[in-house]
Amino acid sequence: MATSRYPRRGAPQVRLRIGFVLIAMVLSVFGGRLVQLQGLDPGSYAAMAAAEGSRDVVLPATRGDILDRNGEPLAESVDGVMVIADPALVNTDEAGNPVDRAPQLAKLLSTKLDVDYVTVLERLRRTDTRFQYMARAVPAAKAAHVLDRARARGFDGLTTQRDPIRVYPAGDVAANLVGFLGTPLADGTPQPLAGFERTFDAQLSGTDGSARYSVAAGQKIPLGEQTVVEAVDGEDLTTTIDRELQWYVQRVLRQTVYGARADSGVAVVMDSRTGEVLSLADYPTYDANQPLESDEADLGSRAMSDVYEPGSVEKVLTLGALVDAGRVTPRTRLTVPPSLARQDRSIGDWFDHGTIKLTLAGVLAKSSNIGTVLAADKFEGDELRDYLTAFGLGEATDVGVRGESAGIVPSGSLWTSQTQDRVAFGQSISVNALQMAAAINAVANGGVRVDPSVVRGTATTDSGQRVGTDTTTSRRVLSEEAARKTMLMMERVVDPDAGVAPRAQVPGYRVAGKTGTAQRASSECGCYDGTFTVSFAGFAPADDPRFTVYVVVQNPRNGGGGGSVAGPAFSQIMGYALRRYAVPPTSTKPSDLPVEW
Amino acid sequence: MPSPVSTAALRQRAPRLAEAAVERARLTVVPRARTRAARVPFVSLVTLLLLGGVVGLLLFNTSMQQSSFTATSLEQRATLLSAREESLGMQLENLRDPQVVARKAQQLGMRVPAAPLFLDLSDGSVQGDPVGARVVAPVLLDPRPAARPSLLDPPATVVRPAEGVLSDGRGDAAAAERGARNGAEARAERRAEKKAEKKAEKKAEKKAQKKAEKKAQRKAEKQKAKKKAERAKKNRDA
Repeated sequence: MATSRYPRRGAPQVRLRIGFVLIAMVLSVFGGRLVQLQGLDPGSYAAMAAAEGSRDVVLPATRGDILDRNGEPLAESVDGVMVIADPALVNTDEAGNPVDRAPQLAKLLSTKLDVDYVTVLERLRRTDTRFQYMARAVPAAKAAHVLDRARARGFDGLTTQRDPIRVYPAGDVAANLVGFLGTPLADGTPQPLAGFERTFDAQLSGTDGSARYSVAAGQKIPLGEQTVVEAVDGEDLTTTIDRELQWYVQRVLRQTVYGARADSGVAVVMDSRTGEVLSLADYPTYDANQPLESDEADLGSRAMSDVYEPGSVEKVLTLGALVDAGRVTPRTRLTVPPSLARQDRSIGDWFDHGTIKLTLAGVLAKSSNIGTVLAADKFEGDELRDYLTAFGLGEATDVGVRGESAGIVPSGSLWTSQTQDRVAFGQSISVNALQMAAAINAVANGGVRVDPSVVRGTATTDSGQRVGTDTTTSRRVLSEEAARKTMLMMERVVDPDAGVAPRAQVPGYRVAGKTGTAQRASSECGCYDGTFTVSFAGFAPADDPRFTVYVVVQNPRNGGGGGSVAGPAFSQIMGYALRRYAVPPTSTKPSDLPVEW
Repeated sequence: MPSPVSTAALRQRAPRLAEAAVERARLTVVPRARTRAARVPFVSLVTLLLLGGVVGLLLFNTSMQQSSFTATSLEQRATLLSAREESLGMQLENLRDPQVVARKAQQLGMRVPAAPLFLDLSDGSVQGDPVGARVVAPVLLDPRPAARPSLLDPPATVVRPAEGVLSDGRGDAAAAERGARNGAEARAERRAEKKAEKKAEKKAEKKAQKKAEKKAQRKAEKQKAKKKAERAKKNRDA
C-alpha cells in the first residue's frame, strides 16, 4: 500500500531527512564562508567591496575672497589645474612603437601655457618616471583648451589635476596687507605665507567635501551607492581698504620716495569719524602675484612693523594735552630763546633765531622745540605720559596686521624730566605709523580717539583675537573745545606766511596739519646716525574733518624736511580722497590765530 | 425466560426517539467537491504581470541610465562653462585693475586734479578754488626699471702702451713697416704664388697627357709594323 501511495517520491521521512541533510550541508558551507569573511580580516574585504566599481571624489571648497570696502577683489580664487605628462605615453605611438614626440609637444605646451620649452622638453625626455609636471596653476578653461588641442594632434599621456589658483587682480595694491599664498601642497591645500591670507586663514579656507558614487564605464550608476558631503566654502574677508584710493596712495608714495631718494615710505588714510583705514600703503612693496621677485624685507607691512621717533608731529599731542589740561591757550605768549640749556644738554630749534616771541600757535606753526619744551614745563607729574597713553601710543593697535610693533613710551624710572622734555617734541619715544595716525585722528574727531580698523565687521585672527570695525572702541582724550583749539593751531602750519608747510595745502579746503622731521636712531650704533624721518600728518576739511592722512618718508637724501617732502604727498592724497568721496569745501574762514606777539 | 433479542429487534422495538436528528447526525462519505477554476486566465495574468514588471523595470532602468548619461555630460559642460566664466571674469578683473584704467586715462590725456570743484546746479556757482584745483600732478605709473646687476658691467680693462706708442701701434715705425708688408704686399705675393702654382700644375698635366698620347701612338705604330712583318713572313712561307 505504501509503495502505491508514494510511487516515485519515497517516504516523507526519508525525503525530509535527505532534504535536511542537504540544507545543513549548504548552510554549513555558508557558515564556513561567513566565518572566513567576518572572522578573518573583515576590514580588507569591506574595503575591497567598497572599492569595486565606486569612485571617491573630493569636492573642493573655494577659498574666500579678500575684498575692499566696495566689494572689489584684492584676492580671489580661480579654478586651476596642473598639467601632468607621462613621458612614456607621450613618446609612444598608437601601435606601441617608440617615437620622439617630445619636441612637438614641448613646442605646443610652451607656446600655449607660457612654460619654458627646454625645461618641458627635458622633462618629456625622461625615461625613469611616468609623472612630470608640465605647468602648474593653469586656469581650468585654458588647460581644457590646450588638452583638447594636444589630443586632436594625437598626443597622448597628458592629464590634469586640481591646483587652485589665487590671483591678486590689482597686483601690488594692498599687497603688504593682503599677503600671498605659497605653492599649494600636492592635494591642493593652499599654503598661506603672509598677511591676511595667513592671519585669517581659518575664515578664508573652507572645508573640502567628498562624494562617493558607483560608476560603470565612466558613468554614474543611477541607483548605485551615492553619498555626498557638501563642501563648505571659505568666507570672504571684507577689509576697510578702498582699492582705488590705495592704488593712488601707493603711486604717490612711490613717486615721493623716488623724488626724495629715500629708503622707504608709509602713507595712511583714515576715515576721521569711524577710524576705518581706507589706505595703508608701503613702499617698497611687491607684486602679490610674484612675491618671490621682491626682497623678503619688503613682504611685510612697514607701516605696522617699523617703529621710529615721530618728531614734531608729536607736538600736536603735547600741545593738545596742555590745552585740554587748561594750562595754556593757543594765544599763550612764550619767549623763545636761541637755545635752551637743560640738565644734560641744550635744546635747539631747526632754524637759527635770536630770542623770538611766539604764541603757542606760533610754536606749532614754526615747529619750535624750545617753545614746546617751555610749554610742556606746565605739565604736572606724569601727565604728559598719561595723555600719550590715552592717545594710544605705546600700545599695539591690534587691527589684524601681522608683525605689529607697539613702539615705546618710556615709563617708570625712565620717565625723567629730561625724557619729558624730549618726548614733548617727539624724541625718545617710538611709534608705528598707524598708531600715530590714530592719535592725530583723535584731534580730528573732536578729541575722541577711535580704534583704527582694517577689517569690516569682525574676524578672528590666527591667535584667536577678534578684530574689525564691530570691535572698535572709542574714548575721549581731549575735550571738544581743546580739540578745536588744537585744530586751529594746526591750521596755521600750512599757512604760507605763518607756517612751515604751505605745500601741504589742498586748494579750496581748510587743512590742519603738522610736519615732522626727526633724527633716526640707528640700532647699530645706538645713536642718531644723521639720517632723518620726515613726515606730515593732517586732516581736512579742518572744521569738519573727513579724512586723516599721515605720510612718513624714511631717510630722504635730497635734504628735504616734512613740509617739502611729505607735505606735497599729503596734499595730493588728501585732494584725491576728498574728490573720490565728494566732500565739498566747508567755505568757512580759516584760522587766523596770531603766531607772534 | 426472556428470549435473547437481537439488537436490531431491540432497536426496532425501542421507540424511535429523535430519529430525524440522529439521521441528520450520521456521517456519510461525500465526494470531494472539486471546483475547477479556469487555469488559463490566472496563468496568463501572472505571466503578464511578471513580464510587464520586468519590461517596465528594464525600461525604467534604461531611461534612468539615459538621464544619468545626460546628467553627467551636462555636469561636465557646466564645469567647463563655469571655468570659462571664471577665466573671462579674470580677464575682466585685469581690465578693471586701477593701474590699467589709469594708464588708459593718461593716454587719453586725463590727469588727476589737485582738488575737486563742485558745481551747484541750483544757482550755477562753483565751490572750491578753480585756479588751484587745475594744478595737475602727473602720476608716475610704473616703477623704475630694476638696477642693472654689476655683473653686466665689468670694470674696463686698461692697457698702458709704452711711452710714445699708441695702443693700436701707431707711432712705432718698424711695426708700421711690418704691418704694411704683412698687409697688402704679402697678400699680393701669396696671390701671385698661387697663380704660378696653378699654371705649373696645368702645364704639367698637359705635358703628361701629350706624353701618354705619343706613347700610345708609338705603341700602335710598333704593333702595326710587327703585324705587317708577320704577314709578310707568312706570305713568304706560303
